[in-house]
Amino acid sequence: MLDRYGIVAIFALLAVIFPAIPLLLSLVIRPKKPNQSKKATYECGLEFEDFPEEAQNVWVQFRVQYYLFALIFVVFDIEVVYLYPWAVAYNTLGPFALVEMIVFLGILILALAYAWRNGLLEWT
Amino acid sequence: MSLLVFYLFAAIAVLAALGMVVLRNPVHSALSLALVFVSLAAMYVLLSAPFIAVAQVMIYAGAILILFVFVIMLLSPGTDQGVGALKAQRGLAILFGAALLVLLIAVLGGAVLPPTRGTFTPEAIAAEGDTQAVGALLFTNFLLPFEITSILLLVAIVGVIVLAKKRQSISKQ
Amino acid sequence: MLISPELILAIFGMLVLVVDLIGRARTREWLPWVTVLGFVLAFAATLYIWGSNASIFAGMYSVDMFSLFFKLLATIAGTMIVLVSIDYLRGRTTRQGEFFSIFTFSILAMTMMASSASLLMIYLSIEFLSYTSYLLTGFLREDKKSNEAALKYFLYGAITSAVMLYGLSLLYGVSGSLNLTDIATAFANTVDPSVRTVALVAPALVLAGLGFKISLVPFHQWAPDAYEGAPTPVTAFLSVGPKAVGFAILLRVALTTLPIYQASWIPLLAVISIITMTLGNLVALRQTNIKRLLAYSSIAQAGYMLIGLVGVNLTGNSPFSGLNGVLIYLFAYLFTNLGAFICVIAIENATGAVNIADYAGLVRRAPFVAALFIIFFLSLAGIPPTAGFIGKFFVFGAALREGFLTLAAIGVINSIISVFYYFAVIRAAFFLDAKDPSPIRITPLVTAMLTVTAAMVLLIAVYPQPLFNLAAWSMGMFGVVK
Repeated sequence: MLDRYGIVAIFALLAVIFPAIPLLLSLVIRPKKPNQSKKATYECGLEFEDFPEEAQNVWVQFRVQYYLFALIFVVFDIEVVYLYPWAVAYNTLGPFALVEMIVFLGILILALAYAWRNGLLEWT
Repeated sequence: MSLLVFYLFAAIAVLAALGMVVLRNPVHSALSLALVFVSLAAMYVLLSAPFIAVAQVMIYAGAILILFVFVIMLLSPGTDQGVGALKAQRGLAILFGAALLVLLIAVLGGAVLPPTRGTFTPEAIAAEGDTQAVGALLFTNFLLPFEITSILLLVAIVGVIVLAKKRQSISKQ
Repeated sequence: MLISPELILAIFGMLVLVVDLIGRARTREWLPWVTVLGFVLAFAATLYIWGSNASIFAGMYSVDMFSLFFKLLATIAGTMIVLVSIDYLRGRTTRQGEFFSIFTFSILAMTMMASSASLLMIYLSIEFLSYTSYLLTGFLREDKKSNEAALKYFLYGAITSAVMLYGLSLLYGVSGSLNLTDIATAFANTVDPSVRTVALVAPALVLAGLGFKISLVPFHQWAPDAYEGAPTPVTAFLSVGPKAVGFAILLRVALTTLPIYQASWIPLLAVISIITMTLGNLVALRQTNIKRLLAYSSIAQAGYMLIGLVGVNLTGNSPFSGLNGVLIYLFAYLFTNLGAFICVIAIENATGAVNIADYAGLVRRAPFVAALFIIFFLSLAGIPPTAGFIGKFFVFGAALREGFLTLAAIGVINSIISVFYYFAVIRAAFFLDAKDPSPIRITPLVTAMLTVTAAMVLLIAVYPQPLFNLAAWSMGMFGVVK
């Protein structure tokens, strides 16, 4: 069984090595002048200290929309994972499996309709 | 060979899990978690369950981790350092954690697990196709949990909107 | 249709959501009544399949009398809680449709927990109930306390659920089956001593998850904060719903999967029972918030119920089999505790007060509620002539029959301790002067529910025979001939 996954392992290894090379390279040749803003989690080049006083301490309110989108994505990702074995096994299952899947999808479509109606799909 | 691969990924998983807890930067923690998920996927492959492995990568390393990274982004930049646990709490936690570990090793180290049972031996799964076997079982024996899952997902979506979103006037009469 | 109660609940849960989505404001006024209709239909469906003893979905789901008992309990609790939340939610949330929909799904989860006969279904239904409970606890999103309660509840629940899942996976690992009866067979056929040790440790891990639902010490810490912060009808639900079906799974696992290890788990449960009652009662003495007081009281009540499982003995034809004690206790406790919480809701609706100090002079401000507080507290303390006495009688009786004299004695001492804090509330209500003597107006629906619960508490005490029969029927599937 392992030989079947040997190729996967090789690809995984390459996928690790390729981005690692430029990262390591820059680690060696870059100048090292760390400061507070550079070490921040989402560093974007703005000096935190340059912000006006009141902006430094605010809870920067990112849109909760990001989070909602990600969560909806999780839900429908799970749906896809269920659809896949259904499609593969469909021939051996017969028509009742179609009903089962329609019920499953119907409930999730209700979820989508609910999200839609509540304005979750709009970026206002 | 397969044992060697298991120990390799087990070691990666344990170290990455430790890293997730110990690392200070939340993004580093999230990336360690991704490593845990991927090593788990590798173990599922070792257990002849490639479908579960793919699902693991898709759902956990893909979707759920993105959710975590978004949540980290929503945190205020000043709150990167978490609230420190009480000193006594930390000591007790280590003590009880170690005790549980010793207990589990003592109990499970000597346990003889039964041989594989049922019709789905690794050979049978390999012959039928793993995804095929999952599909055939999921839509017959495990039909009830499957349908319940969809209601659970519905509740999840309703719940997240209730908790995270102000109600707009949804019906414009 | 053996799963008709579940189907009805699932359909009504979705129906409420759909009506809330597309209905006009006037239509949405009817949502609580649609929900109640769903519960009534599910209750009727449960009665319709009364007497079934079937195992469906490849043995994962048992529709037996034991599960039907809990389905009756779940739908009764659901109906009453919906009826008292109508007035409570008005003005507190704009999302009533979602509330009733999620609440219907939580009752659905309860009915599924009652029937779960496979480790997979047990985990899935417990998680389902947990998630709906977290949502209902944190439902008042503008209320900081509600948010805090939900977060604490969730964090605690997530960890105990992980521990429980690990225990379930160990059970599967050593037995090779997810089905509760197959696991029992595997344990009975094994000669390997190492399986025995795993079979002791794994259920202990599972107990973490169940203890969390039942609020047994040491898995109880979430309860006071979650009870205090949750919307009060949800608190009432948390104190009876998850506890009852948590017991359903605990009883089912202990009596179908682990009977051969009974000698090992009985001492563990006895110790947990003792610390649960004692800690619950002692900490309750110091509470000033009525919701926290009832939280610790409900922890202590879980300890009393556990005595019934410790004293379980299904052989012979004794009226004290322990198991029937737990079922009778749960049924009596359902009406008693809901009644006590409806009193709290009645006061909170009118004044917003939840501190015991605010109950001063209640007898003049709301004499009906004050009088009913006495009935419910007598029942919670287990003093006749109330339902709580009947429950305690059978639970303590089972312990005595099995020779757990110390345990029964500690139970009685604890009941006496509990009288002190219950009567601290009564004292405030009857013997202290009110700061604001204006009368409290109780809405008709709440009055009706108060009347029903109080009537049931007294009825069970004076005419308990139907409840005895109900409990005896429900135990039939465990091989008890009645």
